[in-house]
Amino acid sequence: MNTIAILLAMVPVVFFISLLFEGIDRKIHARMQKRIGPPIIQPFYDFIKLFNKERIVPVTASSGIFTATPIIAAAAAILGASIPLASLTAETSVVGDLILILYLLAMSSVMVMVGGSSSGNPYGAIGFSRKMTMLIAYEMPMLISIVSVSLNCFSLAYYDIVSTQIRTKSLLAFTRPSMAVAAITFLLCIPATADVVPFDISEAKTEIIHGPLVEYGGPYLALVKLAKAASNFALTFLAMGLFFHLPALLGGYASVGLGAICLCLVTTLILLLLTITVPRTIFARLKIGQAFKFYWLIPLASSIMAVVLSILEL
Amino acid sequence: MVDKMDYTPLRIPLGPVHPALKEPISFRVTVRKEEIVDVDVQLGHVHRGIESLAESRNLIQTLYLVERICGICSHSHTTCFTQALEEIGGIKPSWRALYLRTLIFELERMHSHLFLLGIMAYEIGFDTLFMFTWHARENVLDLFEEITGNRIHHSMNTIGGVRWDLSLHMVEKINDSLKEMEKSIKYIEEVFQDKTVEERLCGVGVLGYNEARELCVVGPTARGSGVSMDIRRDYPYAAYSELKESFSVVLRNSADACARTEVRIFELFESINIIRTILDKLPNGAISTGISVLKLMSKIPEGETVSIVEAPRGELLYFVKTNGKEGLLRLKVRTPTIPNVLGLKPMLIGCEIADIPVTAASIDPCMACANRITVINQDKGEARVINWENLRRRGKKQ
Amino acid sequence: MRAAARSRIKSPWLFHLNTGSCAGCDIEIVAALTPRYDVERLGCILVGSPRHADVLLVTGPVTRQMLPRFVRVYEQVPEPKAVVAIGACATSGSPFIGSQMIEGPPDKIIPVDIYVAGCPPRPEAIVRGVVTAVKTKFG
Repeated sequence: MNTIAILLAMVPVVFFISLLFEGIDRKIHARMQKRIGPPIIQPFYDFIKLFNKERIVPVTASSGIFTATPIIAAAAAILGASIPLASLTAETSVVGDLILILYLLAMSSVMVMVGGSSSGNPYGAIGFSRKMTMLIAYEMPMLISIVSVSLNCFSLAYYDIVSTQIRTKSLLAFTRPSMAVAAITFLLCIPATADVVPFDISEAKTEIIHGPLVEYGGPYLALVKLAKAASNFALTFLAMGLFFHLPALLGGYASVGLGAICLCLVTTLILLLLTITVPRTIFARLKIGQAFKFYWLIPLASSIMAVVLSILEL
Repeated sequence: MVDKMDYTPLRIPLGPVHPALKEPISFRVTVRKEEIVDVDVQLGHVHRGIESLAESRNLIQTLYLVERICGICSHSHTTCFTQALEEIGGIKPSWRALYLRTLIFELERMHSHLFLLGIMAYEIGFDTLFMFTWHARENVLDLFEEITGNRIHHSMNTIGGVRWDLSLHMVEKINDSLKEMEKSIKYIEEVFQDKTVEERLCGVGVLGYNEARELCVVGPTARGSGVSMDIRRDYPYAAYSELKESFSVVLRNSADACARTEVRIFELFESINIIRTILDKLPNGAISTGISVLKLMSKIPEGETVSIVEAPRGELLYFVKTNGKEGLLRLKVRTPTIPNVLGLKPMLIGCEIADIPVTAASIDPCMACANRITVINQDKGEARVINWENLRRRGKKQ
Repeated sequence: MRAAARSRIKSPWLFHLNTGSCAGCDIEIVAALTPRYDVERLGCILVGSPRHADVLLVTGPVTRQMLPRFVRVYEQVPEPKAVVAIGACATSGSPFIGSQMIEGPPDKIIPVDIYVAGCPPRPEAIVRGVVTAVKTKFG
């Protein structure tokens, strides 16, 4: 019961931190474009404003699915982010393992797409089909790289992998070649999971008017945006914990506790800037065929290589 | 054959209200999977009845009306109109006035091409390049403001000359600005050769040489397909007859969106050369005839003429028929976007949905310029489009 | 309610609707996003769908073809909303008044809150118009 209490206590923390990280992402993105950019707490203003707008459900939408899916998406994403954070705080495995976390994050994005396509707008349908294609492209390399990590550490639980790093006082990505390859694959899959340029094909603003989000307004949009922010935070936090758990290098009492968690959050922020903000600023959007080809060529090949190297114990 | 049975075509409406299109234009696109099989372009949302308004106003009022046909190429419209009036009235502006007209013309070409490069980057999702290009464009708008007083809609032209003069201090300022802009444009050219941008632009929206000639597309759209036509070289107007050595016509052969973008980037460099030559060779003299413009207006007799200029988007043609009493009998405006929009259908067939904004932006549509009406017979409920043969017959009768 | 009002002022999302203008005002609106004027530091974003918007920026005299779409987009924007008419055409229809194709300036059709004069107005004037609309309507 103790772990469940910690998990629930982490929910407002995740809410606060994921919106804050989104604000920092927007600020850095603007600065890279020679602009000043919004204040860091802008996403909080956006969230409160959207919650106070009129609730509109289009006539052509199936209103049950349309209104329920943003709530499910936001809940799944926040839970998926709370589990690793709660595991680190409680210093033990909480609720589930990596497969559960990745499932919750995948469900969150799929729920947004389903809700968008249930709106009856043709742009929603196109966005839905594009997202399904992208899902096939990026989920496989991500899952296979997780398989290689679990083969290496003989466990699928998040906290076991973190404690392996603490015990051996090293970052998992730098221990073996197979882990380095797995880390690179996982980081390459993050832009597509987070729906940022160059892979934000399912929500392209200039092509299909935000895709599935076109008919969402008011509180529903607020929940969808929260789901995205929480999902981004969860992915980068996962990448940090699995491959780059920095407090492990400090050893002893410094590797656990509040200070360690702050160091984790700072590392998560740096990873977020590297994998989400920088590609968003320096690349153009790809087409669905080109993105699919990219993901089936490079990350898939490297993830299979990581598994093979893990089996060979390299 | 298998495709036709498996997927039913989906009709997607694009516009008239769409974030990719700053102006209202309607595409009805029929898609199978993600491939486009048919495009129906519907214009007419910006139709304001300018030609019929011009018939009830006097010449000076029409000058200001014509300027507001389009915000991006406004100086081209006024130049064409004043050229027509000056030809009918036998008024010859001084060489200094002609040089200043050409200077603003070329600055407008630069601002329009930078505008379009930013929009192309925005369409492919590359916001950073959009910000950089429009930041460079602000230099040109600053120059406009210092010379003429406004960033857009400069009202530089008047019958018989121009309204604002250039001081020596301004000449130096323009030269310094041009040096800065050359550096920015070189950087923008490099970024446009980035891998992700190339993937989006190359091979998209191909319009072959023969098709381009048949559809009579004009401007950079035609020059990107290898058709060598440029009114500045072929039928020189304003001061271009003395500036022939300072620029060359930029041609490309690959006929896709990438070629059209390259044509525009290199035309920016050519414009910089022309402006530098103009500032070197600027003759002294008065900038206008000295006679009050109301008197000039009353001196313009009855007559008709055709005037052509090379607007940033292509060939702009005006047919002006005056009635000798300070008014117009007929004003006909044929803007470059009208033939260019016809080129969209062969360009888009076979492309994907993701290519629609890129292709539409690469022909640089200026919808405000390009609106005509189709005659619809309300009783029969059918749209009657007058074809080429009937048009020629009607023209010969009248 | 103070938090709700403050957040509406701090995060106005703009939707730009061209009802038949010459594109002069539209390019000044887009120029307000660029680094020199940077309207995003006030929290404004140019959104793609009217359902996401708070402020509707209208340009152009309303042409006959755009009239039904204009009304429909206005109804799609959720409450609370503000309408800003930008440019001389949207304020009074000039210089196209007298044409058969113009249904009149926008305020004949929908309630307009703020008018920004100019042909076209500078980006700074547009930003000021948006800020005034947001403060008076939502504050």
